[in-house]
Order: sequence, then C-alpha cells, then structure tokens
Amino acid sequence: MTTNDELQQQLIKDLLIESFEGLDRFDREMLALEKGAGTSDTPNIIFRVIHTIKGTAGCLGLSKIESVAHVGENLLSALREGKVSVTPPLINALLAYADALREMLRSLETERHEGEADYSELLRRLQDLNCETAAPVPPAAPAAPAGWGLFEEEPSAESPVTPPPATVAKAPPIMPEIEPAARPGSGGTPANAPSAADSAIRVNVDQLDKLMNLVGELVLARNQIVQHCGPAQDHGLLAASQRLNLITTELQEGVMKTRMQPIGNIWAKFPRVVRDVAGELGKEVQLVMEGNQTELDRTIIEAIKDPLTHIVRNAIDHGIEGPAERRAAGKPDTGMLILRAFHEGGQVNIEIMDDGRGVNIVRVKQKAIERGLVSVEQAGRLSDREALNLIFLPGFSTAEKVTNVSGRGVGMDVVKTNIEKIGGAVDVVSDSGRGSTVKIKIPLTLAIIPALIVTSGGERFAIPQVSLLELVRLEDDQKRKGIELLCGTPVYRLRGRLLPLCYLNQQLKLVPATAGQLAADLAQADAVNMVVLQADGRQFGLVVDQINDTEEIVVKPLGKQLKGIACFAGATIMGDGRVALILDVLGLAQHANIVSEVRDRAQPDKARTDQTVGDRQTLLLFDAGASTRMAIPLSMVARLEEFPRKSLERSGEQEVIQYRGQIIPLIRVADHIARVGILPEDLSDPMQVVIYAENGRSVGLVVGRIDDIVEEVITVKRESSGRGTLGSVVIKEKVTDLLDVSAIIRAADPAFYLDHPATLAA
Amino acid sequence: MSTRKQFCTFSLNGLFFGVEVLRVQEVIRYQEMTAVPLAPAMVEGLINLRGQIVTAIDLRRRLELPPRTGDSLPLNVVVRSDDGAVSLLVDEIGDVVEIDDEAFERKPETLTGVARELVQGVYKLRDRLLLVLDTERTINVTSPGSHAQ
Amino acid sequence: MRKTIMTVDDAATMRRMISFTLKGAGHEVLEAGDGAEALELLRNRTVDMVITDVNMPRMDGLTLTRELRALQQFRRIPIILLTTESAPEKKAEGRANGATGWIIKPFQQEQLLAVVAKVLPV
Repeated sequence: MTTNDELQQQLIKDLLIESFEGLDRFDREMLALEKGAGTSDTPNIIFRVIHTIKGTAGCLGLSKIESVAHVGENLLSALREGKVSVTPPLINALLAYADALREMLRSLETERHEGEADYSELLRRLQDLNCETAAPVPPAAPAAPAGWGLFEEEPSAESPVTPPPATVAKAPPIMPEIEPAARPGSGGTPANAPSAADSAIRVNVDQLDKLMNLVGELVLARNQIVQHCGPAQDHGLLAASQRLNLITTELQEGVMKTRMQPIGNIWAKFPRVVRDVAGELGKEVQLVMEGNQTELDRTIIEAIKDPLTHIVRNAIDHGIEGPAERRAAGKPDTGMLILRAFHEGGQVNIEIMDDGRGVNIVRVKQKAIERGLVSVEQAGRLSDREALNLIFLPGFSTAEKVTNVSGRGVGMDVVKTNIEKIGGAVDVVSDSGRGSTVKIKIPLTLAIIPALIVTSGGERFAIPQVSLLELVRLEDDQKRKGIELLCGTPVYRLRGRLLPLCYLNQQLKLVPATAGQLAADLAQADAVNMVVLQADGRQFGLVVDQINDTEEIVVKPLGKQLKGIACFAGATIMGDGRVALILDVLGLAQHANIVSEVRDRAQPDKARTDQTVGDRQTLLLFDAGASTRMAIPLSMVARLEEFPRKSLERSGEQEVIQYRGQIIPLIRVADHIARVGILPEDLSDPMQVVIYAENGRSVGLVVGRIDDIVEEVITVKRESSGRGTLGSVVIKEKVTDLLDVSAIIRAADPAFYLDHPATLAA
Repeated sequence: MSTRKQFCTFSLNGLFFGVEVLRVQEVIRYQEMTAVPLAPAMVEGLINLRGQIVTAIDLRRRLELPPRTGDSLPLNVVVRSDDGAVSLLVDEIGDVVEIDDEAFERKPETLTGVARELVQGVYKLRDRLLLVLDTERTINVTSPGSHAQ
Repeated sequence: MRKTIMTVDDAATMRRMISFTLKGAGHEVLEAGDGAEALELLRNRTVDMVITDVNMPRMDGLTLTRELRALQQFRRIPIILLTTESAPEKKAEGRANGATGWIIKPFQQEQLLAVVAKVLPV
C-alpha cells in the first residue's frame, strides 16, 4: 500500500505495538496449550495473532515478515483444524518461531528494516511439523492480478455451495465459552484480554503528556482563582470557583488515569521467561501472578520491565533448587515463584517471592569480602539484614561466572539503581531454606507524586513521600534532652538509636554552618521539626524550620544548568504559582556525608586496593583511657552512656553493668590495645561507655573520654595495625587508631558472636 | 549576495547586545523567582512560565559585568534551547533590528574575558556596536557537583 | 457522493490503513474491532457498505455477514470480506453467507478503492 511516508511510519509503529502484544498473547496461549490448560478457543487465538501480523505486514510491504508469518500460519491453521497435534517439538518450534518474528519486528523498530537473519531452517522445521498438509504456497502468489472480486461476477459453476467445514462455518458463539476458573499459574484469564484491547483506542503518548501539562496549568489557575475567591462575598462567584475546583481535580485524575497501564502488560511475558529459564536449568517452576490489574504510569512500567525480568531470572537461577535438592529438603519438586502487585499508601508494591533455598548470608559475606567490597571486619559486624543488602553493591554479581540465565552483565546493583532512579526502593528478605522475597516499592507515577512540603530558610521544599519514615517535633524540654551535640555534631536519640541529624538550612547553605550557630539555633528555636528520612538503608533526621503539609506535586525536571546539584531531584509549581525545589533524599544524604558515595560511583576495583575502608564516614573519636586517641564509625554506636563507677558489678571475671533491664558485659578498651607500659590506672567517674549492639545483644565499651565526631575519608594501611586495632589513620593532624570492635569483643566475650559463627570464619 | 538577519536587542551595563530573533521565545517582565541553593552564582532562580519551569540566568553575572544597581527590575529574554527554555535577565529591552550580513565585524580587542568567549560577532550599526551573543554557549552553565563546594 | 463505510478488523493497524484510504477518497468511516462490536454499532445506525476481516475474535466476518443479512436494512448493502485465503472453498463460504465480494490481503490502496467504486456507484 503506497501511502505517504509519515503515515507509513505511523502504521509501522502501530504494527509493532500490536504485534508485540499479539506475540506475548501467543506465548501465553502456547504455554497454556503445553500444560493442557488451553480452551477450545486457544488454537484460534494463536492462529489469529499470526494471521493478523501476516495481513498487516503484507499491506505495509514488509515482505519478509509476511512470508515468515505465512509459513507459521499454515502450521497453525492445521493445528486449529486438528490436523497436527500438540507435541513438545511443536511447542518449542512455535515459541522459537514467535521469537523469530519478534527479532524481525525489533530490527524494524531499531534499524528500520526487517533484518538479515536467515530463518529458513526454522521454517523448514515448521513445514516438517506440518507434514500432513501440502507444502505452503509462497505468499506472493495468492494475490491474483485483481486481488479482489465480486461473487455475482463469478461463474457460479465454479463454486457449488457446499456446507463449509464445521470448524470455520459454525461461528463461535458471541460470548466466549465459559472459562475454567482462573488457575494459579495461568496468569489470569487471557481469553478475555482481547475484548478489552478492542474497546480501547491508541493515543500518542506525547499527546497525553501535553494534556498532562495543560492540566497542570489549569490546576495552577484554579488554585489562584480559589485563593482570590476566598475572601469574596459574591456567592455566585464562590459557587463557581468551588465547581471549578472539583472539576479540575476530577480532570486531573482522569488525565492521570489515561497514562496508567496494568502491570499485567509487562508480566505477560513472564510465563515464557520462567518456562525458558527453568527449562535451561532443569528446574520445575510454577509461576503465580497476583494483582495483574494493578495500574502504574506507563513510564514507570517501562522503567521496571528490565529490573523485574532480572529479579525473576535470578530467583529461578539462584533461589529455586533443582527437583532433587528440593525433594531432599522435603519440598515438592516444583518450585513456586509468586509475583504480586498491590497498591498501598499511594504507592505500588511489587513482590517477587520464591520458595527456594533463600540467600546464604555466609556466602554473600564471603563473596563481598573476596570482591573487596567490605573488609573482614566490616563483614563481621553486619547484621543479617545489612549483609543481605550486600547483593545490591556494584561489583557484587557482575564478576560472577556469567550464566546464560542471570548473568547478562547486569547485577542487582543495576536493578537497584534503576528502581531508585524512578523514586522507588528495593529490599530483599530471606528465610534460609524457605525462600526469599524481593520487595519493590515504586510511586504510581513519575509525573505526580505525593510529597511533604517543608520550609527552610524561608523557602519551601518538597520531599518525596517514599523516603519519609516519620515526623518528629520536639518542644522545649524534649528538644534539650533529645538532641545532643556530640562535639558539634548533632544526634538525636530516636528509640535508642543515635540518629544523625542534618540541618537543611546548613546543607543548602541558607545559613552559615558553624557549630556555634547551630547551638544558637537550637537554643533559640521554640521547637525542632525533624523529618526522619531513609536513604540507601540509612536513617537520618532532617531538621527544617517548618513542616507544612503533604501534597500531590507535579514533578518537573531541572534545566541542565542545575542538573549537577545532587540535592535536588527536580522542581514543582506550588498552589500560589511559585516554584519549589524537590529534594533528592539520597543526594542530600550524600551531600551531608550520612551515606557514603561509594555505592553510586560504582568503582569496585578501587575497593580492592590496600585500603580496607575508603569511603567518607562519620567517626566517633575518643580517648581510650590512656591518652590513645581512637575512632569507631558512629554507625556502630547504639548509644553513648555515662555510668557512675559504683554501678560496676562483677560476674565471675567479667565486669558487667545493669542496663535497661539487662546485664551487659563491659569491656575496657584500654585493656585490649597494645601499648606497652600503659595501663589504665583509673577509670574516670562517671564512666564513659559506648554501647554496641548486634543481634539483640549489647556490650559496653568503656572509654576514657569522648572527644569529637568528625567526617573523614579514612584510608587505612593494613601493615600498621596492632592488636585490637584495624590500623591507624591521621585525623585532624593526629594519629588515630581505628578500633577493631569485633576483635576486642571476641577477645573479651567469645560467646558474643556464637550465634553467628560465620562472622568468625573470616 | 548578502543576507539579512533579525536580532532581538537589549542593553546590559550600557552595552548593546543582540540574539537572533529565531532563538527568542518571548520577552517577559520580571517574575518572582525561587532561588536555587548551591547553584552557580549566575543562576538567579527558577520562574514559572505558564507551568513550565525555566532557569533564569543573570546575564550580568554570566558576562562578569558589575552587578545591577538601583531599583529597576531586569527583564526576562526567554530563549529556546535543546534543553528547554532558559531566561536571560537583561537591563532593558531594545527593538528588533534587521542587519545586513555585510555589517559583520570581528570582535574588537577591547572585548575581553568571558564576554569575548560568548560574543559570536559584532555588527556595526550607525551609532553603536551590536554584540551578538552565542545563546547556546551563554546558557551552557554547568553546576559543579554539590560536593565540590 | 460521500458514503459511510464501516471497516471491521481486530488489527488496529489494518483499520487505520483502510480508514485512511477511504477518508482520503472522501468517505466517512466507522471502525469496529470485531463482528460483535460492529453489530452493536449498527444497532442504531446504518452504513452504506461494510468491509470486514474474516478471522476475528468474538464474532468472525462470516457470522457478521450472516447476521447483517438477516436484518432488513442491511439486506442489500455491499459487504466485502477481507481475506488472506483465495482458495475456492473459502470463496464459496463467503458467498454462502451472503457476502458481496472479497479482497485478498495484502492489497493495494488502489484495489480497495476500485472495489468501493465498483459497489458504491456515485
């Protein structure tokens, strides 16, 4: 069909969308057929997909796709008429055939031609399978010179009216036959899907984006009018403005909905992925999908497609065991993989659960150490949860033997990065021997997100709700008790944990950042407003002047002049028409040195040098009790306490203290560091104790004096390490030893780590 | 054969500048702005241009000219770029002038520093010189990573 | 004269293509995704001609033809089948169900217009 170029391009775009969707349906129905779960309509649906591709491609002059489609159509026609039966070779050949069509379509999409690949062997395979029917007529042939005709002009003798074969002439009933109840693993009721698609129209996404922008402007105009009408006395005007208000809100929701797509659209390909991956690995996996209809903005759907695929592959490759291993573990041969999606609190949750062997934390730690991602000491003090998160570190999985299945050169770090890029979060939980679950939380839409509006330094800022944990407001007394300035660095004790604080006005240089200023601010303010945020698994408190409200905001990108500022994720327009900046919580945390940047910079190689720790850390400096300055990362400190000397007790050889209803061992740090001739003559009174907690157990480290809290890039030379230390480092022009916390705990209380022998192994 | 080009003109610290009319989206009066912390100094702030967020660059600072004095508010010359619209803050707006290519002159030696880099060329008008700005380079301000501060 | 033509096809690309061609020739076009939708749309209105695909979900083109022929107002309008199959028995099926003619896919724009010109004389 010769049409102008633009239309041709548009039609090809349509063809691509339609055909990719069709081929996904093809795969799904094929798998149903394989399992014997197809309906009487299944062969028809499969046939129609190829039939449509062939017809449309032909009209668009795509002869290669047309001719390949033609061969498959013949086989499928025979299948539909019951002339060939469903066998594994048939299923495999047809799935490979669908892939061949996809390949050509993709080539058409990216290269603008149908590609050079040769499918003659595959086509021969199909023809062989179709041995009962005559060799296919090449597709160019059927188009008779005219290509059309009218029955009244045909010599009637040519066509004696015979009752057509039942399969075709007996029209299917208008309503599809009653489907067998959706079975777990069948991914819903695919036979119903086409009707939904048919009642929809396709709209260019640019058009929707334009609409969305216009609605954004309308919202602003609405807000201004509503604001102006507030004090107005004119009832007619008030009523009209209220109506405008309602309609605008509804319109906004409506337009947003047009951009929403069910997650089922991307899940549709998973049955095939699962089948192929499981097949390759000789595993049996049943896939269950729940919440297919959960809707997400299309840009988000696009963004999570690859990460989800990777997680699914990973779960089958590393999670689910082979049948023999499963039997040995008392599990059914067939592993379960559950995909679940649901809305919760303005977000979409996606969970990928398997009932496999779970993540082996010991192995994860070993691997992380081998790869130089953490030091032995660091690995030792990681909680199980933290250790699990090592799999998201760049360099953790990429260097692994690249299996065909989950290798592919991407690791979980890429998954994490991609999900975080769209404002989402990913977490993994694992139950050893019983399976693991990857949990993803993502916003419904990128365009409009729920956000908390705060004020700092007279400016408003929006904080995306995904990173928000809680709000804390401290009035006079609480303020003085709750916030401590540990040598100039503010921390807040939130339920027993030391939460590092960062002042937004200082981070953004809205006020000068000096300790004196800070103290003055603290003393001056009536109350302290704190937003507890989470970034990269770390919690911190962001202190702002005022917490305003939560609002749905329209996210707009910043120009390239401002892209380099990591603290901002974009900007939005507020109700009064002014622009407000959207905070990038991770960027802000990095800017404030609350989380290290190492992860983002993805330089696993650098970590393999002779440094054990190379990132910027917040360190607690203390005098160990013998004029020896030492440091430990603040993140390891649960609390800082003072105890009067008289509260010291003994339990056998061990000094202990009663603390919060527990008896905890005390370790005098000075006893454990090798400094010949210097022994603690005395302990100060009250004693300064650093509480360290892991796995529900606590230990108190008695130190001489707390000195300071500093942020430093620490570079430790291994050779300089002595007993009880990891090495020394120069901090503020003074040599400082890094305390090897796990070593001295082990020395003092071998039982402390007993529950976790793995940490000792290294 | 000579071609004629149209320029949107404006003044800045007594100098007379122009940008090609085709590059200019619109000229609007001063708008309230939201300052961007940690941004390069020449970024004055963000304005809301009918729902579009536009970065406003103080052209005086960009060209390293002395700061604006007095009460008069600058105007926004909104120029198009590959990256969306960007506003250039100028002192006063002039006419659109049409100039023959032949009037093109080399940059005078007196033009130094950043201005020399950003001025594409100079046209001799009857009574003064028109300095034509290279808009892409003018708006090409990248902010340092926030850590670099 | 401007005519109203309905195109019935489950492939949106195909509908769009036909629709574009017919509109280019000055006709009004009505689209339906399958036979059932076509019948639904034609419950309250009439058209001058129907061009329908044969193989479609829910209701195929042959059934649609039969159903339309059972209705008074569609007894005489041209119904053209779009088919990829030129085998004689397929044609016979079309004729038996009351279709006016056929067009074999793939077709050229000119072929489509030729059929329309033939069955809808001005």
